[in-house]
Amino acid sequence: MGIVYLMLIVSLCLAALFLGFFFWATKNGQFDDDYGPSVRVLFEDEPTTKDV
Amino acid sequence: MGAFYQYEPMAGSKPGKERADQYAFLDLPEIRKRYVSFENEQQVRVTLSLPAIHCSSCIYLLENLPKLEAKVLRVQVHFARKEAAVVFSSEFALSELALLLNYIGYPPDFSKNEQGQSKQDRTFLFQLGIAGFAFGSIMLWSTPDYFGLGKENPKFRDFTALLSFLASLPVLLFSARPYFISAYKALRSKSINLDVPITLGIIALYTQSVLQIFSGKGAGYMDSFAGFIFFLLIGKWFQNLTYASLSFDRDFSSFFPVAIQRIGTDQSKETVPVEQLQIGDLIEVRNEEIIPCDSELLSEEAFIDYSFVTGEALPILIHKGALVYAGGQVQGLSSRMLVKASTNRSHLTQLWNETKDKTPKNQLIRYQDRMAQYFLVILLFIAASSAICWYWIDPSAIFRVVVAILIVACPCALALSAPFTLGNAMRVLGNAGLYLKNTSVVEALTTIDTIVLDKTGTLTDPTSYKISIQSNQLQEQEFEVFVNMAQQSTHPLSRALAQAYPETNIIELSQIEELKGQGIKAVYKQKTYLLGSADFIGEKQLGKGSELFMKVGTQIAHLVFTSSWRTDAIHAILEQHGAANCYVLSGDHNQDKAALLQLGFLESQLYFELSPQQKADQIQALQKKGKQVLYIGDGLNDVGALGCAEIGIALSEDMFRFTPSSDAILEAQALKMLPQLLSIGRYAKRVLQICLAFSLSYNIFGLSIAISGQLTPLIAAILMPISSITIVLLSTLLIQTKFKRTLKS
Repeated sequence: MGIVYLMLIVSLCLAALFLGFFFWATKNGQFDDDYGPSVRVLFEDEPTTKDV
Repeated sequence: MGAFYQYEPMAGSKPGKERADQYAFLDLPEIRKRYVSFENEQQVRVTLSLPAIHCSSCIYLLENLPKLEAKVLRVQVHFARKEAAVVFSSEFALSELALLLNYIGYPPDFSKNEQGQSKQDRTFLFQLGIAGFAFGSIMLWSTPDYFGLGKENPKFRDFTALLSFLASLPVLLFSARPYFISAYKALRSKSINLDVPITLGIIALYTQSVLQIFSGKGAGYMDSFAGFIFFLLIGKWFQNLTYASLSFDRDFSSFFPVAIQRIGTDQSKETVPVEQLQIGDLIEVRNEEIIPCDSELLSEEAFIDYSFVTGEALPILIHKGALVYAGGQVQGLSSRMLVKASTNRSHLTQLWNETKDKTPKNQLIRYQDRMAQYFLVILLFIAASSAICWYWIDPSAIFRVVVAILIVACPCALALSAPFTLGNAMRVLGNAGLYLKNTSVVEALTTIDTIVLDKTGTLTDPTSYKISIQSNQLQEQEFEVFVNMAQQSTHPLSRALAQAYPETNIIELSQIEELKGQGIKAVYKQKTYLLGSADFIGEKQLGKGSELFMKVGTQIAHLVFTSSWRTDAIHAILEQHGAANCYVLSGDHNQDKAALLQLGFLESQLYFELSPQQKADQIQALQKKGKQVLYIGDGLNDVGALGCAEIGIALSEDMFRFTPSSDAILEAQALKMLPQLLSIGRYAKRVLQICLAFSLSYNIFGLSIAISGQLTPLIAAILMPISSITIVLLSTLLIQTKFKRTLKS
């Protein structure tokens, strides 16, 4: 039976960890703009050398 | 994609008109302070509202601005709010930045955005996160209990129950707070909204669960509780998403320039904020600027475009000493004016304030709130009657049963039905070009039986003139000379002429001379060309309408300008609603009567020469006959009519200019879709009824278990999410399919 308690605590810690991540992401403005980044990722990088 | 824009970085955006000192007011310390959010010796940070942001390439262009202008250091676009955070070198003036943005096609809107205003509230996301966390965790450790294993291991059950209690506390105190506050506010103002039964359910559910946990009888319903809050918040999130793209809360000040040139006693020019203008001040209003307040014209004459105020397409010639009204736009040369009234007391503001005071719109009580009242009464009745029944069967079970009823009857799915269905309909209509102010307009769309249309700018297309040329003996090249002359002029008819023949060859003209309000004279190959009014040419005036004469040598051509009808739209509307239900109200003379009759309108339902007040009266007269009126107009002279109709739709050629008293904005080219759009509105109401029926049947099913005293945590936990998810899927699917089918046909 003891293993169940352990599992429960582990699962709770894991969930709390994810909640923490969610809060951290929210605080950093990850969810403020849900359209812009999807476009930004498609921008091509600058050519590194001039003759490309 | 990137490569394309390397060749053509300006694609898709129209470069704005440049005027070096247009943004000079931004360098006034008091105004500058409003927009700058951070500043040190090297760099300045501002957040600017750029309403022209509309697509992914806008993000590309703006964020690559540092490559075009080295003094701009960094740009980050916030697409949803149409804002850009710009960091620029402190050598660069804010006005220069504004000018640069204007030049590349993104004129900043300084009237709306002020520093600090755009901080996003993230509390909601935290509330959602907490509720989701609690929901998932409690569900997980309650799983053994669902299968009846709890009774075999009471110690384990008590332990998880305690954990559940701890996890539920932040949900109750933090995540559910908006509902408590809303319900409290409603009760304090002696009304009931849907949050009242929700709060009642939350309290019942929570009390019952806490009692169970601390009396050691079981794990309670904490999973249902957390899940309940979680799904309610998701519903709210969706609702906010729908509204975010529509910001209707612009106040009147956003229509006026925020600063104006004031001329001092020593003739020096000074840029001042509009609020500082005082009666008796001398101001200079330049080409295409809006007159901020009622003033007296001091320049000899000026063309004022009142299309914004009256809906009339053609600018009016005003002479010295006449009163010009706020909201007019100066065309051509800049004009000097004497301020006669301060901004907040002007003609235009009064017009708006009047409509704000009328409140027929507020009588549309929101569907949900009306439902909530019935719901609460029925719920309390059921709870009371089953309490009485259980008194005869088993008095000890009364409390348990009543609480169970309140829990399971919580209108979670009911609460989601309206925002999801109406929100979906709003989104879909927005995609088609009809932007609604709020969801209650969707509801009102369903009851419309009469359509009233404004003529100028609504039935006619102000952007395209039909030009008929009479007695045309001109040679092609001579005609081209005239078009070239027209291109030089700012007169509206000249502009219309130039626009009508965009592919004319460029001809070098000499000795161009423009007599304001009269015409243009030019010389080409030793011949004198005259383009202008009848007086200017020395001819007699022929008609009442807008006309222009051309003269070269002895040849004379007469041009008549008529704005063209939106024939497709008119036919579509008449066909769908029948001529008997369509009215036309016009402020003009009846010169277009024959044309309107030919289009299919009934003679008894055409009204001409109406003042704005008479338009509103006419609509009220129809309403007295029991008609539900939809009014479509464009200008501010419709404000009264837009306000008193059940639904007032402002037709808009471009999306950045609209009338605040309207309930909806319709893109001009979508007018022909109006009957289909109305049918989507009607369909949305039917979908809402279906969703309500579904959620009610869930409630009845749950209630029947609760009344019989058999509600278990498992059933409650399954029933709530499933009912909510069904509603969400049902409304989204039905509305989307209907929309696709409508578009195809």
